[in-house]
Amino acid sequence: MKSLTNPSLWIIWFVVLGVALMPVFGNLPALREELFVLLMLVTLASSVNIIMGYTGYVSFGHIVFFGIGGYTAFYLIQTLQFNFVLAALIGGGIASLIAFLIGMPVLRLRGAYFALATIGINEAFRTLVTNVDALGGAVGMLLQFSVYDAYGGAKSASQLAYYGIILVALLTITASFVIKKSKFGLSLMAIREDQDTAMVLGIDPARAKVMTYTISAFFPALAGALFFFKNGNIEPGPAFELHRSIEALVMVMLGGFGTVTGPIVGAFVYERLRGFLITDPIFSNAHLVISGLLLLIIVLFVTAGVVGWLRQRIPTLRRFLE
Amino acid sequence: MRNQLRVLTIGILLTLGLIIVACAAPTAAPTSAPPTKAPVVEPTKAPAPTAVPAATTAPAATKAPEATKPAATSALAAQAKKLLIGFTASQTGAQQVASKKQVEGLQLWLDDVKKAGGIKLKDGTLYMPEMKFYDDESKTDRVQALYAKLINEDKADFLLSPYSSGLARAAAVVGEQNGKVMITAGAADDVTMEQGFKNTFQLYTPASRYLTGAADMLMKIDPTAKKIAIVYEKDSFSTSVANALKPYAEGKGLNVVMFEGYDTGSTDFSPFINKISATNPDAILGGGHFADGTTFAKQLYDKKTPVRFVTLLVAPPEPTFKDIGDAAQYIIGPSQWEPQVTYSAESAKAANIPYYGPSVKAFTDAYVAKYKDSPSYHSAGGYAQGLLLQKAIEDADSVDPAKIVAALDKMNLMTFYGVIKFSTEAKTHGKQVAHDMVYMQWQKDASGKLITNIVWPLEAKSADGQLRK
Repeated sequence: MKSLTNPSLWIIWFVVLGVALMPVFGNLPALREELFVLLMLVTLASSVNIIMGYTGYVSFGHIVFFGIGGYTAFYLIQTLQFNFVLAALIGGGIASLIAFLIGMPVLRLRGAYFALATIGINEAFRTLVTNVDALGGAVGMLLQFSVYDAYGGAKSASQLAYYGIILVALLTITASFVIKKSKFGLSLMAIREDQDTAMVLGIDPARAKVMTYTISAFFPALAGALFFFKNGNIEPGPAFELHRSIEALVMVMLGGFGTVTGPIVGAFVYERLRGFLITDPIFSNAHLVISGLLLLIIVLFVTAGVVGWLRQRIPTLRRFLE
Repeated sequence: MRNQLRVLTIGILLTLGLIIVACAAPTAAPTSAPPTKAPVVEPTKAPAPTAVPAATTAPAATKAPEATKPAATSALAAQAKKLLIGFTASQTGAQQVASKKQVEGLQLWLDDVKKAGGIKLKDGTLYMPEMKFYDDESKTDRVQALYAKLINEDKADFLLSPYSSGLARAAAVVGEQNGKVMITAGAADDVTMEQGFKNTFQLYTPASRYLTGAADMLMKIDPTAKKIAIVYEKDSFSTSVANALKPYAEGKGLNVVMFEGYDTGSTDFSPFINKISATNPDAILGGGHFADGTTFAKQLYDKKTPVRFVTLLVAPPEPTFKDIGDAAQYIIGPSQWEPQVTYSAESAKAANIPYYGPSVKAFTDAYVAKYKDSPSYHSAGGYAQGLLLQKAIEDADSVDPAKIVAALDKMNLMTFYGVIKFSTEAKTHGKQVAHDMVYMQWQKDASGKLITNIVWPLEAKSADGQLRK
């Protein structure tokens, strides 16, 4: 755990926490709502980066864990009156367990086959939930508004959910950082570069990949639990929205594949860009086209993303910009 | 190598350019209602319909007096206090067609209020409503952030809902958190209004009553009908409708031979149509939203599916539904409102309740004059949203949220949109309990042109229902 004392991590913590606490000290609820979405995207992008950036396995359907966490926690809060923190943690645990179980067979696939399989898993879960009456089926589930009374009212519950998402985002970033700096992280990157060579070096790719997939599933599940708790209702469509998964991949590519700060920068830039494009009269109907074009440019010309490019160009930054 | 570098530089510059532009821009540019240029007249209690002649039966639908003394009216407008009404609209995404209509209706109401000089309280205080809305992209996560912005930054006094049940649910949570009064339109599902809300009021007839009338109608116009197929979109709203319809139809002695949901965004209904053909029902009831409903109707026609009675949700009442040509003929749609409805001051008197606002004709004429298109029930819903808020302010004689809630709780009246009354029970507070659906059908007139007629309920019909051939 030597990496926890690394100044780079403290810089990231300082910046993220500084931005995240602005609406709290400034009493700016509207900014808080915007930052909730942004921190949720940082969590999603960073968790995708743990599996994609370090092992090279592109998880197109990673949003499935967001949905699983959301549904598990929501069910526990609504039906069994669990506290939302405990419900979120259980949701994270269930998502990790599912990731472990499906990861064992699915992570044997490589390249496009793995990516396609993850899309299939997401769709399968969405359809499953849509047809389970205990989870509300297609109608979904709603929280009685009085549930929030236990947290000091709906407004206070929303504030608590915000503190929760700050913590989840920081945890995800820390996990990403610790993995990258560890021996385990090195073995993952060896798998990413050449799995067969990694095996020759004594790395067990199957074990390492499953473990990474399990860890990376935990954080989006927490984010899902908090998001839907705050939202007050959950439906299969928004819970397992593949589009959100693809956006998380774009954020990782934009910021820097395999870096810790890349997904944070990517989430920020993408969200701001999206915010601009959808409200611009010229681009409002073409924001995904432009985002796609941007991704194409990055994939073709700046494969390392914004952070990777900066690290390449300015060597002194390498000590601080992970 | 040099070329590669050049391309790389261009790519980076493009990317950075987009990023800089994006960072410099606000997250969401508000779309404000354009200020009215029409000279303002003496305030009247009810909104004066836009460009409407005196030919209106509703007493509240007062004819706007001739425009006089612009200077005086400007002074009046200057005295008026601003009343900001905030909401989000789906200008992009899946809900944009219906949402646009809803905003058009609301804009018409705003024009009328401005022409009437604002909303006046008994002590002479004048309020001039303004509206501010953002594009929610038809996405739930954007809705909450934008409503928080409307409440906390824009300081909206009152809220209206976005279109569709899912988005309205998300918005209502934020409204309730902040104690803001919200009137929902385009949000019909039942469960939303069973959360114990205190400040949210539903204009639309709830989803559970959307298609039950269609089952009654089927039995009336085709007494031999025994088997029905329920094919619906698997989203919150349509599933609520289908789940309520099934036991109702079975209770009436109809045999539900098929009960299937299709995914949102479906474009190929062949598997469902094949199964319909195999089960040979007398009627199909279901559908979902505009795009899927239109495609479903077209594919039923193209495949010559031998079913005598088809009722689909949401899509048929939209005027653009006729764009599918002959496939639209005989298709029935449940509607919250149609231009042919017969709500009037007389019918309100007969029902022993007050009538408020413009007449049906006044609203329809004004809408056609402004938008050169027929109003759909979404348009009427938008207007009615504003109208209810106006009535509540007048009844409460205040803009205090608690007093407005009390006024809405007491409300029991008829408007051009129908009868409005809200549940006051704690669990279902704000749920619509009085408004009724009407059923319209696409038929051909003598010249072979597609027109719509109200075919159910019988007391409101403008033509007899026709069975498909």
